[in-house]
Amino acid sequence: MSGAQLLLTALLIAALLGQALVPTLRVLLVIAGAGLSCFAATLLGVGTTGQIFAEIPWDVLILLVGLGLLSEVLVASRLFGVLALLASRRSRGEPRRVILWFALAMYVVSGLVNNLTALFLVLPVLLALLQLLGADQRYVSWTLGVVLIACNLGGAATPIGDFPALLLLGSGAMEFPRYLAHAAPPTALALGLLLVVVLLLVRPERALARTPLTAQLSQAVMQALHRNVRLDRRLVIPTLGVLGVMVLAWVAVPARSGVSAELIGWLGVAVVLSLRARLGERLLRTRVDVEAVLFLLALFVMVGAVRRTGLFGEVARLLTALPVAPLWQLLAFLLLAGLLTGMFSAGPSMAATLEVAHALAHRLPATAVYVGLALSVCAGSSLFLTAATSGPMAQALTERAGLQDHGGRPLRFGFLNFLPVGLTGFVIIQGVAMLYALLLVLAAPS
Amino acid sequence: MELPAGLGQSFGYSAAELGFCAASWLFLRAVAEQGGDAAVETLRDQLGRTYPVLDAVASAWLEGMRAPQVDVAPLLAACAGARRALLVGIEADHLDALVPRLLGEGIDVALLQYSLHAVNWGRVLDNFGDRVTATDLTSFQGLAGSRSVIITMVYGAQGHNVHVLPAWLRVHGADVRAQFRSLIGWDVLRRPMFVYPRWLVEVPASDFTHLL
Repeated sequence: MSGAQLLLTALLIAALLGQALVPTLRVLLVIAGAGLSCFAATLLGVGTTGQIFAEIPWDVLILLVGLGLLSEVLVASRLFGVLALLASRRSRGEPRRVILWFALAMYVVSGLVNNLTALFLVLPVLLALLQLLGADQRYVSWTLGVVLIACNLGGAATPIGDFPALLLLGSGAMEFPRYLAHAAPPTALALGLLLVVVLLLVRPERALARTPLTAQLSQAVMQALHRNVRLDRRLVIPTLGVLGVMVLAWVAVPARSGVSAELIGWLGVAVVLSLRARLGERLLRTRVDVEAVLFLLALFVMVGAVRRTGLFGEVARLLTALPVAPLWQLLAFLLLAGLLTGMFSAGPSMAATLEVAHALAHRLPATAVYVGLALSVCAGSSLFLTAATSGPMAQALTERAGLQDHGGRPLRFGFLNFLPVGLTGFVIIQGVAMLYALLLVLAAPS
Repeated sequence: MELPAGLGQSFGYSAAELGFCAASWLFLRAVAEQGGDAAVETLRDQLGRTYPVLDAVASAWLEGMRAPQVDVAPLLAACAGARRALLVGIEADHLDALVPRLLGEGIDVALLQYSLHAVNWGRVLDNFGDRVTATDLTSFQGLAGSRSVIITMVYGAQGHNVHVLPAWLRVHGADVRAQFRSLIGWDVLRRPMFVYPRWLVEVPASDFTHLL
């Protein structure tokens, strides 16, 4: 490794480790790391700040901001509260059905909108239900854990659900319909397997005392808490209509036309925000997820600086030079991507591993490589509570809700509470990712 | 009938967002449906000391009452001519009846976001559509004026004293008295409490310009 490669990689790893160890300072740490990377890259002749910025995938950031704003419009229409209430009604106060319906609801919602926003609005309803059901620690840990993993799977199911898929879409690695057709089925399969394992083998509800009164009360209270909450149809119907048109455009408009995915997203979100101009202006001024944008921008800068040293190309060459068949190289790469994501979260690991994936995609079916990578990143996001932003948020919301068990002991949702769920989810999703990639490779014409 | 463990926590959670009275009626209806008056007595014995409003409402149930008495007419009369009403405290059954009538009279309604318990204020406000605005302890005096009133929930009167939510103490000061036209106490319990009024505070009835 050259001196530039060593220094810039060390800066990247230090920033990533720092943000993982001190999450309360994560944006400051990566922004400082990005500044230092630019400084070092300039001094070492790797590239100027302008050159590094020119290689940032701005299309991904535009889509991220746009889809976040679209989610906020849906929040204003009260869609998520109504969906949560529907899931609550469907569960009929039955603990196993609570896990099933909330997981399914979050899987579907996360495929279409920012899952952090959705989770922020659905979790309070779920936490209320858990309190009313007289939940114990085991049930709380597994229920919230499964819902979080369902969010990750939903986000990986569509090209607009979460950052890794957006990056694939934005980089031109995969087109919208191909990703959707190949990623949605394995994520649904992984969710199904997870639910089967949890509901039939783990059975987190088995220690709960279930009575007709508990079920009736939980339903009655949930109904009373939302007694007059109505969907703003005049907002939600046109918004979902525009979203539908955007999806159609993403599927139908060819990339060679120059009308790119982020342009479709930009125009669509502008139309949605114009539907109720004052609300749109307010959301633009106050609800853009600046934290996520700054975090990803800083990551792109640091990864871009390392890329300019040629390190990722060398890693890819090393991987493809391994004395094993390309298929085994791919499986090793997917497992490594999953573990890296577990440690560093989805954004950094996806940004760093995509370069290597491009190299592998020259020798193996691109769909197997990219969808396998997206699923592996999803598996890693589900490994630890800290691997995705939604984890710490769920932890904070649970603490704020002040849940208690029958004995008055506080119910928590921390790192260790999540760990058994995370390990189960990781094994299932990573297994599906590798198996699916294997099938795609074997099915591809030689 | 044996009641499930954890019912007290469920009640506390519900009462924070629905109000003590509304939560009491809801729990009593469910418990009576499953186990009749005997179950209501068990509920009162188990949770009554912790939640005195539940104790009082259970007594009313056992005396034959089956629903809260909600009469908004005296409130509307006391608010006549007002332009703004500040609500201090939540009682779902009562506010569901009152708020649409106040809005119908052209009175802007605001809800004070203050509670000793965890409340999902967004959900509380969603139940009133976009027609009730939120305010807090740092800004509620912006609603003051010669045509502004404050309405708070009162939980039974004993002699010259009444029981109110702690939020009232945060709002009611010598300066606030002079800034609002009327300070209205709405007795949502309509009977004295038998056990120590935990969660509530005793204040003189003379704090209010109207006690209804």
